[in-house]
Amino acid sequence: MPDVNETINGLLSELRRGTIVIGALSQLTEPQYGYSLVPVLEEKGIAVDPGTLYPLLRRLEKQELLESKWDTNEARPRKYYVLSPFGKEVYEGLCREWRKLIVSMEALTAEVEGGD
Amino acid sequence: MEVIDRYIYAVTQRLPEQQREDIRRELRGLIEDMLEERAPAGQASREDVESVLTELGHPNALAAKYRGSNDRYLIGPSMLDSYLTTLKIVLISIGIGLSVLFAIQIIVTPDGVLERFTEYAASLFSAGAQGFAWVTVIFALIEYRKRKNAAGTADSPVAWKPADLPEIPDEQSRIKLSDPIASIIFTVLFTVICVYSVELLGIWRLHEGERTVISFLDADAFRAYLPVIWGLAALGILKECIRIIARNRSGKLLAFHIVVSIASAVAACIVLADSAIWNPDFIREMEAAGLLNSGWDNYDSLVSIWTRASGWLVGLVALFGAIDIISESYKWYRVKHSA
Repeated sequence: MPDVNETINGLLSELRRGTIVIGALSQLTEPQYGYSLVPVLEEKGIAVDPGTLYPLLRRLEKQELLESKWDTNEARPRKYYVLSPFGKEVYEGLCREWRKLIVSMEALTAEVEGGD
Repeated sequence: MEVIDRYIYAVTQRLPEQQREDIRRELRGLIEDMLEERAPAGQASREDVESVLTELGHPNALAAKYRGSNDRYLIGPSMLDSYLTTLKIVLISIGIGLSVLFAIQIIVTPDGVLERFTEYAASLFSAGAQGFAWVTVIFALIEYRKRKNAAGTADSPVAWKPADLPEIPDEQSRIKLSDPIASIIFTVLFTVICVYSVELLGIWRLHEGERTVISFLDADAFRAYLPVIWGLAALGILKECIRIIARNRSGKLLAFHIVVSIASAVAACIVLADSAIWNPDFIREMEAAGLLNSGWDNYDSLVSIWTRASGWLVGLVALFGAIDIISESYKWYRVKHSA
């Protein structure tokens, strides 16, 4: 029989994958570079490894949710990402949907716990 | 550290060319940031580097994440540029080859231009479709093989060690792009002549305003060998595609090159050695055209040149094959011994 914890972890990482997008967008009202975003998210309980975050940021940039700029003034050139006006709009819409989702899921899971 | 360069190279190599530079810079910054967290600047040990790279994961898996989840390709981004380059070369050489043949035919027999032109347009289309199909099939097969061999995609992570990362190839081992391009152009032109206008290979003669060609080959007998010609062309283009994709000399590539060269040379010699493909009426036609006369002193020696020509050609093909193999081996030898 498959291990319960292992199965939960597998399904959980699938669930997390989508939420990381909202998490990243939420922290990008101010410009951040990829690696500065990792501790910010971690502190708030969303652990994400850089190998996932960096490609994700690029993808969001390509979808025009983010804008980017190379900062070459520091010793190490870094690519800073910030929400675009379009991204801001999308993020707000996503948040509204997310809250609806929480309410629906809340109702569904409460049914299971309360019922049989 | 060198292993970092190798890691970044392994990742970016699998990405579309126009994204590579940006991702390379960003990835380097990230790795340096991660290293700094583990050890003060410039003090990172080999273990630190390896732990950072292991955390980032298998280069194939990271590259797959950069490409996005939609990872089903006939020809993937790491090969798309090579594919387009090859396709352009093949189609352009087909176009040039057929246009030259068309021009020659018009000069030889100026009548029926319209009919010739329709033929030209039709063969342009069919040969273009052939070229497109061959190149695409070859690249799709290579892509398929690569995918089957590639360990560690996003869905199936495989244990790996940074020490396993392959070396970044240096400049000297790079194959100049002009090399395979020239070979493809030659292969296509050769194939176009063999398939469409083998009768034009011969002795040209302008006599009383009329152009005639005395063919070396018997077009009908030669036609039986056309599948061999197609096979040779496909094999030759396959070899050059692999060289354009790999872009670097290696022992394996050299071995493949030698095998293909020998196989092509042998096939070519078999065709040339068959006496049936040679125009049986060549001498008679030459005499009829007044280019040869049995009354001449050197008649017998001239005729014997014709009868021995196929043997010489076989020797010539073998010689060129040998020169090609030796020069490729020498280039690889130089790479090996300069490293």
